[in-house]
Amino acid sequence: MSTLIEKHIVSLLAEKNDRAIALLYENYGDTLYGVAHKVVKDDDLAQDVLQESFIKIWKKADSYDSSKAKLFTWLFRITRNTAIDKLRSTNNKAGREIQIDVSDVYNVGVKGIDPDHMDIQDNLDKLEDKYRVVLEALFFGGMTQQEASEELDIPLGTIKSRLKIGLRELGKIYGTTMALALILNLLS
Amino acid sequence: MKEKINKFLDSDLLEKYLLDQTTKEEAQQTERYIAMYPEVREAYGQLQANLEAFAKMYSRPTPEGLKEIIVRSAKKEKKTLVRFYKYAVAACVAIAFFAGSSYFFWNQNQSLQQENTLVNNKIKYLESNMMNQLEDMRNQFIVLNNPDTKRVEVKGKEEGKDLKAVAYINPVKKLSYINLGNVPELPENKVFQMWTEVNGELVNLGVIKQIKDKDKLLALPYGEKAISYITVEPQGGNSSPSVEHIVANISY
Repeated sequence: MSTLIEKHIVSLLAEKNDRAIALLYENYGDTLYGVAHKVVKDDDLAQDVLQESFIKIWKKADSYDSSKAKLFTWLFRITRNTAIDKLRSTNNKAGREIQIDVSDVYNVGVKGIDPDHMDIQDNLDKLEDKYRVVLEALFFGGMTQQEASEELDIPLGTIKSRLKIGLRELGKIYGTTMALALILNLLS
Repeated sequence: MKEKINKFLDSDLLEKYLLDQTTKEEAQQTERYIAMYPEVREAYGQLQANLEAFAKMYSRPTPEGLKEIIVRSAKKEKKTLVRFYKYAVAACVAIAFFAGSSYFFWNQNQSLQQENTLVNNKIKYLESNMMNQLEDMRNQFIVLNNPDTKRVEVKGKEEGKDLKAVAYINPVKKLSYINLGNVPELPENKVFQMWTEVNGELVNLGVIKQIKDKDKLLALPYGEKAISYITVEPQGGNSSPSVEHIVANISY
């Protein structure tokens, strides 16, 4: 995400300009929908989550502080929390144990990834499973590190180190992809 | 310092903060580190970039038409919000108006109540004053018209030689009055003071001021074999009579 567009969106949000929502959707919609879907694992629920998240983003626009988080981090937190809440309320309604559903998160893997996102899929494959499982549990499972440790039956220290290393590995993969994209752009 | 920063980076606070899983205190500490140390700031920036990269791996194309629904909802929300603010402002104005008028009426009620108490007290005072005056008038009438009333002329001596007074004593009704017909002028630092000895006790009847109404009758405490004195005392009166300055006495 270019910093310029990000800045533009942030200033539109601060002005409460309607155009901010359309721009947010165009630039972050797919990713946030993916995040919501990864948590709730249902098309209709994910759409509800995305809609609710955008309304929250719109309502909370005044509270966004760019010195505390990048725009995406802020959007991710809102969407993720909304999705987790939605999943919990749905599970409560269905009278099911939340842990059962949450534990399913790790088995889903890359199901449902669109062929258009295959390059991203490639990146995901580059990340070792042991890191991916931990990252998914923490990012999409709505768990604390302690809860993830119990759920995955992995010691807390290992969870912490896999989160750190996983994120670092991700940086490497992402960095390489970005560098390749940059070279391709320069060549074209 | 370096050690402190490394210790912080080795902890999982930054990762927890990234995922919004810190307590309020942890968040404050992390924000302080991010603001203070470039290394921490850089690490946090990297984590955020990695989070975005990770999340992008799960991107899914949004369904057709969802954008329009979301944009429409946001616009509707904005209108609701504007409408809410309008109502909120109107409600605040109304509340302020009612609060103001309630306070005004409450205040007015309070001052009316105070005034009411004041008027009531005044009425009670006037009533009791009037009763006393009526009682006094009745007693004066009795003392002046009753055949049993003795009339005692009082003449002053020495400094009070021009003092002229008439005392009316009625032993049957046990009433006594005095009419000070003439009170001579004394030097500025001296006054006439009146006393009565009733049942062995000396009662201070107060300083005699210049009498404007020469027909006015002053009540004297009645007692068997009472003696009233008029003395010359220093300005302001005395607490006990100066026997050597007795200028008149009335026995009854």
